[in-house]
Amino acid sequence: MNPAHLHLVLNHFPTIGFAVGLGLLAVAIALKKDELKRASLVVFFLAALITIATYLTGNAAQASLGNRTDLSQAAIRTHEGAALWGFVLIEITGFMAWLGLWYFRIVRRAANWNVAAVFVLGIVTFSVMTRASNLGGEIRHPEIQSEQEGAPPDVSNVPDIARSIGLFVRGHSWVWPACKTLHLIGLSLLLTVVLMVDLRLLGMAKKLSFAALYQLLPLGILGFGMNLVTGMVFFIASPEQYVKNASFHWKIAFVILAGINALYFMLMEEPWAVGPGDDAPGFAKLAAVSAIFLWVGVLFFGHMLPFLGNAF
Amino acid sequence: MDFLLRLEQLGFSEWIRESSSIFAFPTVLLLHTIGMGVAVGISAGIDLRILGIAAALPLAPMEKFIPLLWIGFWVNAATGVVLVIADATRTLTNPDFYVKMVFIALALINLRLLRNRVLRDPAIDKAPLSAQAKLLAATSLFFWLAAITAGRLMVYVGGRDIG
Repeated sequence: MNPAHLHLVLNHFPTIGFAVGLGLLAVAIALKKDELKRASLVVFFLAALITIATYLTGNAAQASLGNRTDLSQAAIRTHEGAALWGFVLIEITGFMAWLGLWYFRIVRRAANWNVAAVFVLGIVTFSVMTRASNLGGEIRHPEIQSEQEGAPPDVSNVPDIARSIGLFVRGHSWVWPACKTLHLIGLSLLLTVVLMVDLRLLGMAKKLSFAALYQLLPLGILGFGMNLVTGMVFFIASPEQYVKNASFHWKIAFVILAGINALYFMLMEEPWAVGPGDDAPGFAKLAAVSAIFLWVGVLFFGHMLPFLGNAF
Repeated sequence: MDFLLRLEQLGFSEWIRESSSIFAFPTVLLLHTIGMGVAVGISAGIDLRILGIAAALPLAPMEKFIPLLWIGFWVNAATGVVLVIADATRTLTNPDFYVKMVFIALALINLRLLRNRVLRDPAIDKAPLSAQAKLLAATSLFFWLAAITAGRLMVYVGGRDIG
C-alpha cells in the first residue's frame, strides 16, 4: 500500500465522520437526549483525530505522484489548499468536542454553549470539507467537473495557503526556533496531565481523587493544541522531512492511539469512581500504563525524527 | 580552554558526539527531553493549580509528586553533564548555557520556597491562597519556561545542530 492508497482510505473519515456526527447531533438536539449528544461528540473527536493522518498522508500522496504527467499538479495544489482550511476547521471542532466531553464529566450533562458551538462549527467545516473532497476527486475523476468549466481551471496564480506558510517560515529565521521551543513547552504541559492523572491511578498521591486531578485536563488539551499547531508549522514548511520518515509515521500512529486511550478516561465510569485514598481497579491501571507508554512513544518517535529519519 | 579541549577529546565524549549508535547522542538527548517534561510538567501543574486552574483540586497531596520531579531533574543533571562535556569547547563558552543554568538554579530555589511556604502550610486547602503563594507560582513558571527557551536556543546560538 503506497501513501496515495492510504490517503484514499483515510480521506473518507473526515467527511463521513462529520456527516454522521452532525446527523446524530441534530437528532440529539431535537430529542433533547444528552447521551446521544455525547455520542456525537465522540464521533467528532475521533474524526478529528483520524483527520490528522488524512492530511499528512495527502502530502505523502502528493510527493509520490509528483512526477505523473497525466495528473494536474495545479488540481493537486488547489485540493491541498482547500484541505488545509478544512483540516484547521476540523481540528477546532474536534477540540471543542473534546472540551465538551470533559465538561460532560464535570457537570454530568451536555453544555448548551458547547453543543451549539460544535453544531455550528460542524456545519461550516462540513461545507468547506465537501469542497476539499470534490477538488480532491477532480485530481483523478475529471468527469465530476461541471461541464461549463471544460478544461481544469488554471490555478498556478491562485494564492496557495500551504505554500505561503512554508515561505513565511523559511523566510523568517526566528519562526522555526520559536516553534521548537513552544513544542517543548506544549510537551511539558501535556506530560503534566498524563503523569499526574495516570500515576495517581497507579498509586501515587492517593489522597487525590481521580475526578479532582482530571480537572487539569484543559492543560493537556492546551499542550496538545500547541503541539498540533507548531507541529503543522514544521510539516507544512518542510513536508519532505516527514512524509517518508518511518519515525514520523510511528509518531502519528501513536498520537491516534493515545487519543483513543484518552476516550477511555472520558467515557468509562471505573476511573471516576476512584475517590480519595481508593485503589484503582485493574483495568484503569492498565489504561494508565498504556497512556504513559503511548505518550512516551509519541515523544520517542518525535525525538528520533532526525536520527532514524532525515528531519532536522 | 585546554581543559575544555581535553574534556571534549575524552574517548567517552567522542563516542557520544560521533558514534552513529542510536544509544549515544540520540538516547542521551531523549532522556534529557523526557526528564525536562517530567520536571517542568509537574512543576507547571502545581504552579497553575496555585494560579487558579482546577480550583477544587486539593493542593497539599500534590507534594507527593515532587519526588518524581526530582527524578526528572537528576536524570537531566546527569544527561546534561554528558551533553556538555561531549561538546565542551562549544557549550561551556556559550553565554546562553550560563543563562540556562541561572534560570534552573532560580527555579530550584523557587521550588524549595514553594514547597516549604505553600504546599506544607497546614492551612493551605482551607483558606484562599496568599498573594505570596501566587507570586511564587508565577515566578516558578517563568523560570522553567526561561530555562527551556534558553536550553532550546543553545542549538541556534553557537551550538551543535541537534534538531
